Amino acid sequence: MPNLLILAAADDVLRDTAPQAAPTAKPRRDWSLRQLLLILIIFGFLYGAVMGCYGGVAGDRWRQVLYSALKVPMLLLVTFLLGLPSFRVLNALFGLSGDFRQALGALIATQAGLTIVLASLAPFTALWYASFTDYRIALLFNAGMFAIASFTGQWQLRRRYKSLITRNPRHRALLRLWLAIYIFVAIQMAWVLRPFLGNPDLPVSFFRKDCLGNAYVEVATIVWQTIHKAVGI
Amino acid sequence: MKHWFKALDKILRGEATRLQELQHGPIDIPVIGLSTLIALLAIFYGACMGCFAIIAGWGTGSAVGYQQTLASMAKVPMLFFLTLLVTFPSLYVFNALVGSRLNMAAVLRLMLATLAVMLALLASFGPIVAFFAISTTSHPFMQLLNTLVFSIAGILGMVFLLRTMQRLTAAQIFLEASAPTVPPPPLPVQTVASVENTSAVPAPPALPPHLGALDRIQYRVNNSQVVTIFRIWAMVFALIGAQMSWVLRPFIGRPGEAFVFFSPRTSNFFQAIFHITFQLLSRH
Repeated sequence: MPNLLILAAADDVLRDTAPQAAPTAKPRRDWSLRQLLLILIIFGFLYGAVMGCYGGVAGDRWRQVLYSALKVPMLLLVTFLLGLPSFRVLNALFGLSGDFRQALGALIATQAGLTIVLASLAPFTALWYASFTDYRIALLFNAGMFAIASFTGQWQLRRRYKSLITRNPRHRALLRLWLAIYIFVAIQMAWVLRPFLGNPDLPVSFFRKDCLGNAYVEVATIVWQTIHKAVGI
Repeated sequence: MKHWFKALDKILRGEATRLQELQHGPIDIPVIGLSTLIALLAIFYGACMGCFAIIAGWGTGSAVGYQQTLASMAKVPMLFFLTLLVTFPSLYVFNALVGSRLNMAAVLRLMLATLAVMLALLASFGPIVAFFAISTTSHPFMQLLNTLVFSIAGILGMVFLLRTMQRLTAAQIFLEASAPTVPPPPLPVQTVASVENTSAVPAPPALPPHLGALDRIQYRVNNSQVVTIFRIWAMVFALIGAQMSWVLRPFIGRPGEAFVFFSPRTSNFFQAIFHITFQLLSRH
């Protein structure tokens, strides 16, 4: 049954980066790209759905649940795809072409692992929504959940990349470059894909009316204006 | 066309610039195919840049966005080829003056390979730039982002140029040192001081299995004047490229303004960057 196979694959993805308990430990299966993508989509969908439940599901709000469910996998996948060409070219330039398949596999498996962790945190989010109503704090809470999932993602990635780095230390530099590119794009992507929670005072929509904007420009403007005020120009 | 991408990949991986390969002559690349691929990659990046103008003009009914995109698609290849055109003659002349072993064909191929590296990098950042172009309304941000991407491509391209030039010169020295009637012996892959090699020139060093396109070789090129010429040229190329991009502007197109192919001649690149940064921070 395909459902059970996905769960089994998901379990393997998580255990793959754990330190080996015994030499007789079962060798991990090789997952296909399709399985990893399915894991990413399904578990991302799950967390997104829970995220979107902030305003309840009555009336029009079920649409927010659907939109958020679609947006989380979109956020992860599209950011990944955008960064991929430059990762490929930089790998080639730094003489790491031979290991590209393995590096790519490590990245995709980590993305899948990240969404599994995220989905496991969904019950906490649900409980938070049931306990508290403040919109801003709910946003922060979700940001916190994403942060936890990202940290585990980093941890998984480092373990998967270990063999690559021992083979050639350049991989470490390329890993850092990848993370820089990924984070740079992801922040703007998260900004563009708002709303994820859906401010209860505003109508439900896929994009906000002022979706065309730039996360970095907004932050830079705020910082600059704060400095201006502080210095008294 | 697949053949051209394979050739490009060979250059990026460093396989086209291995010492063993260069020993047989100038860099083995399909000149016409690669030039076409370079132009296509540049056009692709121009299209990515132009997305900004298209989105800015969306729904207003004006065709300025599309005009700007087409203009950018023409200008990016122009930028690279014109910069090369402006700087190449002096490079070749000074090269010959200091007694470089590279002839015209070798230098041209070297330039082509360098352009290929730069444009591969540029085009690979294209999707990211396009994404920001579609989702951003800030013109100064786009200008700075594009400047950053061009700088990265340019710097890595120059590193490639300098490393490959050293390898070419080393390969040439080895080629000349061997007897003319005897074909040159194959370069050893392992670090073995070849006892049968009676030539006065020491055998080129062993290459580690994963030597990339940007790696330095251990062999010291005796003619340091050639190295200096190329270093200076790399800086000149960067400066000319920057100013050429200013002369060819606009690439992105200020939202709300009418389409112009060339903006009037004012100021220069470096003043402009300073001004744009200031604009970005004070949100004009």
